[in-house]
Amino acid sequence: MSERTTRAHRRRRKRQQRLRLKEEGVWYPRGFWPAFAAPATIWMALLFVTPFYAVFAVAMGTVDPIFRNPVPVWQPWYWDTSQIVEVFGKIFGTGGQPAIFAPAFIRTFENVFAASALCLILGYPVAYFVARHSGKRKNLFRLLLIAPFWISYMMRMLAWVNILQPDGYLNMILAWLPLDFLPIANGHYGWLEGHQATVVFGIVYGYIPYMILPLFAGLDRIPQSLLEASRDLGASAPRTFFRVTLPLSKPGILAGLVIVTLPMFGDYYTNNLLSRRPTTSMIGNLIDNNVGVPSRVSEAAVLVLFLAVILIVPMSYYLRTTSRQEASD
Amino acid sequence: MAGTLLAACGKPESTTDEAAKLPLARPDAPVTLPIYDDNPAIASDLPIEEGATLKLYNWDQYVYKKVMDDFAAQYNCKYEISTFNNMDEALAKIRSTNMDIDVFFPTPDVLAKLVLFRLLQPLNLDYIPNLPKCVWPEFTAPDKPFYDQGQHYTVPYMLYTTGIGWRNDMVDEKDDPWHLDNPYDIYWNPKYRGKIGIYDDYREAMSMALLHNGVTDINTGDATALSDAEDSLVELIDKVNIAITMNGAYEDLPKGIFAIHQGWSGDILASPYYGKGPAAQVAPLISYWWPKDGHGVIGNDVFAIPKSAKNPVLAHTFLNYMLGFDAAMKNFSWMGYQPPQIEAPPEAFSDPNFKWSWVVWPNLVNCIVKPTDFDRGYFYLELEPKVDQIWHDDWEVFISGV
Repeated sequence: MSERTTRAHRRRRKRQQRLRLKEEGVWYPRGFWPAFAAPATIWMALLFVTPFYAVFAVAMGTVDPIFRNPVPVWQPWYWDTSQIVEVFGKIFGTGGQPAIFAPAFIRTFENVFAASALCLILGYPVAYFVARHSGKRKNLFRLLLIAPFWISYMMRMLAWVNILQPDGYLNMILAWLPLDFLPIANGHYGWLEGHQATVVFGIVYGYIPYMILPLFAGLDRIPQSLLEASRDLGASAPRTFFRVTLPLSKPGILAGLVIVTLPMFGDYYTNNLLSRRPTTSMIGNLIDNNVGVPSRVSEAAVLVLFLAVILIVPMSYYLRTTSRQEASD
Repeated sequence: MAGTLLAACGKPESTTDEAAKLPLARPDAPVTLPIYDDNPAIASDLPIEEGATLKLYNWDQYVYKKVMDDFAAQYNCKYEISTFNNMDEALAKIRSTNMDIDVFFPTPDVLAKLVLFRLLQPLNLDYIPNLPKCVWPEFTAPDKPFYDQGQHYTVPYMLYTTGIGWRNDMVDEKDDPWHLDNPYDIYWNPKYRGKIGIYDDYREAMSMALLHNGVTDINTGDATALSDAEDSLVELIDKVNIAITMNGAYEDLPKGIFAIHQGWSGDILASPYYGKGPAAQVAPLISYWWPKDGHGVIGNDVFAIPKSAKNPVLAHTFLNYMLGFDAAMKNFSWMGYQPPQIEAPPEAFSDPNFKWSWVVWPNLVNCIVKPTDFDRGYFYLELEPKVDQIWHDDWEVFISGV
């Protein structure tokens, strides 16, 4: 059979198939389903690509010599990379520059690691309880899980200022408890006096709902039959948890970690409200400090690019792991 | 559209040549801001724009809403207030977006560039009779003020000094600024670690460090002096874990979160209202230091009308209204920042018969600025771009938390 005959045969078969599907009422023209995603895709592309390009244009632009405001350069052939080299020097101490940004970068990694670990440790049992043991009150607990989203992040942090201030509720409770051996339990502890731990606790409080929800979704999806099979085959409850539940909830854990760590890296508001000290500043604060000064906005833009590079790492790990998981399924 | 695209394809323009034309106003080198032929003042005797909305571009919380309501009711207009966080941000927006604003509240150190680039319109003082009638002659004489001789573009708004605020009940008397050889040492006292704050403002913080180090030129371009100031600020991190805030003086000092905070006189005067409990009980707990000899940081800000104002007659009327005694004092009673009113001389605030003396707590009467303070005080002046860069570089080292 010649090649031409084969192609004609294929076309005829496809036409017959389309006609049959049309008669059965399930045929859709090509591009029908992607068309539904098009508006959102265009929206996202515009709202991501354009601002991101603007960040590049500002990062590699100039500064007005009189008004000291940033002048973005939109044409890549005019881009000046000296600001990137300078910020790199301020992070890594290269080019004869002191590494003045290094402490904030290191602190950010410490805070994000500690806070995301705490979110996981505290959030997992909550999600586990709601998914497996909340019984008839499951919907109520689901509602309670999303309740924190009703109040803005800023308002929740402002509430913490009241709780943590010298005569706040936390000190009142600590003074009442029989914990005299602890220095923090004297009833006058200065929680808002620039402690890294306070910032970490604030971040955990702010982001833990974002950890619990994907964990709950992951745990809730695990079929009860698998757990029963494990117990039937003689595994103890802890063994069932560690050999069945925990591995199967790995996608939820990863999703939760990615969802909380990405905004944590850029967080600046928690430090601004709960510490306000240079000793607790994070990358987000470096950006915030520079954004407020027009002549330094290009430095802020470069820091945003560095932050984006950092965020690619956990994002790529998540995508790689989930795509492997899907492939193995 | 095509023009915009073509412009975007060209290399960005620079205003370096214009920079050379910038006159830097100094008290000993006053500046008469030029009135350009292509940017004249409005004519006299024009009617107020009807049904207009007066648009203000101001610092946050820097005008009393009730005063604005009174003005709107009296002149049958509406008003809108947009706010900025710092002068750099305000300038950037005004220049790049040609904002629709009728009244702007700049600081004197940025006037020259605003005028040079025709971003302000000259004032027609015929509309502002309250200027000579109500305002201190230190701002209205033909050769005053030094940053805008003859009041071509501005009229004064509020006065302030930058000093030190502290809590009497948290700071020992022997440690307070009145008892120290160098009052600024109070910020470096490790005894109050965690309870000391300064303003999140590079000029204020660096100037405080300069004054602490004995440098009285708070507009210096001396890189060594500025580097020493940076070292002193960095030392604050280790010694007292210093906080940097914008609201610490008026919000957190009265609550006892801070024992010591750098303070603008107006912030300290208003602070008792932010404490826990009645203001009359909080006020005696707060003290304010500003050098008795007048050698401290002092300043004022101003009203100006942008060239692009849609309602220039209403804007002039507003300026006149705000300079009137009643509106000015009502505004002062809410903000804590003092207007330079002839009928409210500094000594009046110690007189219980004066209608507005209640605004100033007896123990905080030194928050009131005297006209003579401007003769000896240190005024923030415009910095050359290169010098400003050094200031920012040194400040950045400090706030990055090295």
